[in-house]
Amino acid sequence: MRRRAAIAALLTLLALIAASAAVKAQARSGPVEAVVTDERGKPVADAVVTLTSPGMPAPATPRVTVVMDQHDKEFVPHVLPVYIGTPVSFPNRDNIRHHVYSFSSPKKFELPLYIGTPAAPVLFDKPGVVALGCNIHDWMLAYIYVVTTPYFAKTATDGKGRLDGLPPGAYEARVWQPRMRGGTDKTAQPVTLAAGEPAQVAFVVSLKAEWRVPRAPDSYKGAQGS
Amino acid sequence: MAVFVGLFAVILATCFLVVAAAVRASARHEIGEELRLAGTLFVRQLESRSQQLVAATRLLSGDFALKTAAATADQETTRSVLANHRQRIEADVLMLVSTEGSIAADTRQPGRLGAAFPLSRLLEEADQAGEASRIAVIDGGLYRLAIVPLLAPVPIAWLCAGFAIDDRSAADLRRLTGLHVSFLRRQDSGFTMHASTLDGADRDELQRGLAAAPTAGVIKLGGHPHVIRAEPVSDEVLVVLQRPLAEALQPYDSLFTTLLAVGSAGLVLALVGAVAVARRMSRPVRELVRVARQVSAGDFGTAVSVGRRDELGELGTTFNEMLAGLRDRERVRAALARAEGLKRFFSPQLAEILSAGDESVLASHRREITVLFCDLRGFTAFADTADPEEVMRLLRDYHETVGALISRYEGTLERFTGDGLMVFFNDPVPCPDPAARAVRMAIEMRDAVQRLLEEWRRRGHVLGFGTGIDMGYATVGRIGFEGRFDYAAIGTVTNLSARLCQEAGDGQILVSQRVYAEVESLVEAVPLGALTLRGFARPLIAFGLLHLRADGPEARQPLAKDGRPLAREQTG
Repeated sequence: MRRRAAIAALLTLLALIAASAAVKAQARSGPVEAVVTDERGKPVADAVVTLTSPGMPAPATPRVTVVMDQHDKEFVPHVLPVYIGTPVSFPNRDNIRHHVYSFSSPKKFELPLYIGTPAAPVLFDKPGVVALGCNIHDWMLAYIYVVTTPYFAKTATDGKGRLDGLPPGAYEARVWQPRMRGGTDKTAQPVTLAAGEPAQVAFVVSLKAEWRVPRAPDSYKGAQGS
Repeated sequence: MAVFVGLFAVILATCFLVVAAAVRASARHEIGEELRLAGTLFVRQLESRSQQLVAATRLLSGDFALKTAAATADQETTRSVLANHRQRIEADVLMLVSTEGSIAADTRQPGRLGAAFPLSRLLEEADQAGEASRIAVIDGGLYRLAIVPLLAPVPIAWLCAGFAIDDRSAADLRRLTGLHVSFLRRQDSGFTMHASTLDGADRDELQRGLAAAPTAGVIKLGGHPHVIRAEPVSDEVLVVLQRPLAEALQPYDSLFTTLLAVGSAGLVLALVGAVAVARRMSRPVRELVRVARQVSAGDFGTAVSVGRRDELGELGTTFNEMLAGLRDRERVRAALARAEGLKRFFSPQLAEILSAGDESVLASHRREITVLFCDLRGFTAFADTADPEEVMRLLRDYHETVGALISRYEGTLERFTGDGLMVFFNDPVPCPDPAARAVRMAIEMRDAVQRLLEEWRRRGHVLGFGTGIDMGYATVGRIGFEGRFDYAAIGTVTNLSARLCQEAGDGQILVSQRVYAEVESLVEAVPLGALTLRGFARPLIAFGLLHLRADGPEARQPLAKDGRPLAREQTG
């Protein structure tokens, strides 16, 4: 009896799981394509598009560590959007040391001269923009954009990003880009997602000229170049 | 000469003035150019210093501690870091300016926080270009400012470093350029002096002067003109370079002095040269004038001294040639005049020879000559009573008659005393038959005069004609004095022939025995015996000639000395 009951319970559970999966699959909207261009219609890369729903409860944080590489004395990627509470590790793939720091208010931290991957990742638990620098390579610059929604996407060089698996409903779409003029709240626009239907959201942003520290030439390259 | 030298002086002075003006204009231009170049270099220098300042400030901005302090630490720490860093680059001021443009820290005024950064345009420029520098005024002080972002790695603030530009730094710049340097700020109200190497009074004058000539020109400072050049180093600040004009012109002035000295020396040399040339020109001309005056006074024996090969020398030579010509002409003229005189004595042919210049024949000498005297009998009485015109007419006819014969027989007419005359032969040109000539002439003369006498007798004048001839040695030559020479024969023969003439009656030709001996074969004569003549102690044998022998040799044909018949003259 116990055995039968156990099997029945298992089947019921499976059925429940299957049913819930079916319900879930049914409750998801189609893919949302975000397109970001500048005033002249040129695609804008490294723009982070977020969709937030005011009434939507914050989903549990997965606590999956994401990576901000340092490769050939550059941060990779240049822009890293993360869901709030995400730990980020900073593996150094160069054979020299780096000194990663940030003075941004969402996360002030410093990883003094290190090689390899630091033992503990850095937890980004406050929303906002965190500018990353390296104290010994002035040109190294990256942004970790800490967002309060799990629904975000970063545009590629074609200015397009894709968000999948959002529950249908009314959302507010926003965009942020490091060189963007004005705050991200000014870009808010409503988006309504229907189950199983794809949607599109488009942003036109105004970009500032970015003044960046030029890369120091490598010594051997300098020798070759001279 | 004075005109020449004056003209030269005027030309020289004109040249001098033109050159001097050109040199001065060129000098002014050079100074202007020099200042312009200096101004350009100066501004370049300032820019270079600004870039150095920017680089130094950028270096400071990279300091991690500063970044950390600015981003995280309290204001007190930040100010302390700034004070420390200011020391590092020896800046006069270091400021931290927020990205919003308010002052976050200031080493000069620690208490001033939150105030707006006064140079918002500098911030804008830095925002555009990443960094900026400028010479500007902050709180009444002039600074060279550099502003760079504090990158962490995005700009978290601006770091602004400033170096004061004061009289000390102006003096440093003066050492660099050798020029007076002033920094002024231009505002609507005028120019404000901020730093200068000039003295106080000069500064005010420069400020006032700039209002009139804001970029370049000459401004009087302390009573001395200065060449100035203003270069803007920012939108409101200009740097003004000054140089005293006198100092700048000094090398040109010394050139001017040299020019003046050379010019004066040139003038003196020209004066000396002009005098020398004028003398050289005028001396031969004066010489020519002197000689020409001598010539006009009749002195042909002079000559111009010629010692040159130029036109004046040529003129002198030509003048001398002309003088030589004049002398020749004068000689010819004198010779002609002499020939005219000689014709009295000699036959015209002989006179021509003598006039050609051979006067040696006129020198005193002794020679045997035949002398003929003849005169009119009763002429004195006739002349006393007769009409003077009649006397002269008669004499003219008589002289024409005997003169023609004397010429034909080439006799030398020695004396001419109214009705009487003396002719001699064999001198000055010897002839082979002086006695024969004399005799022939005497007979022909007697016959011709007798015909005249006949004519006169018909007009009521009774006159006679007598002749005396002797031969012998006599001293012959020129006697008398300059201007009045006579050719005379002195000797017994002269006296004797004169006495014979006196003895002769009308139509008679008395000859001495000596003469008769010479012409015996030629003439018919009657002996007259011994005549006692006055003045002669001994009686003299005389002959009275009748006529030429009809059968005589070469009857009635007198010969010239060359032996040819004289008929040529008779017919010609």
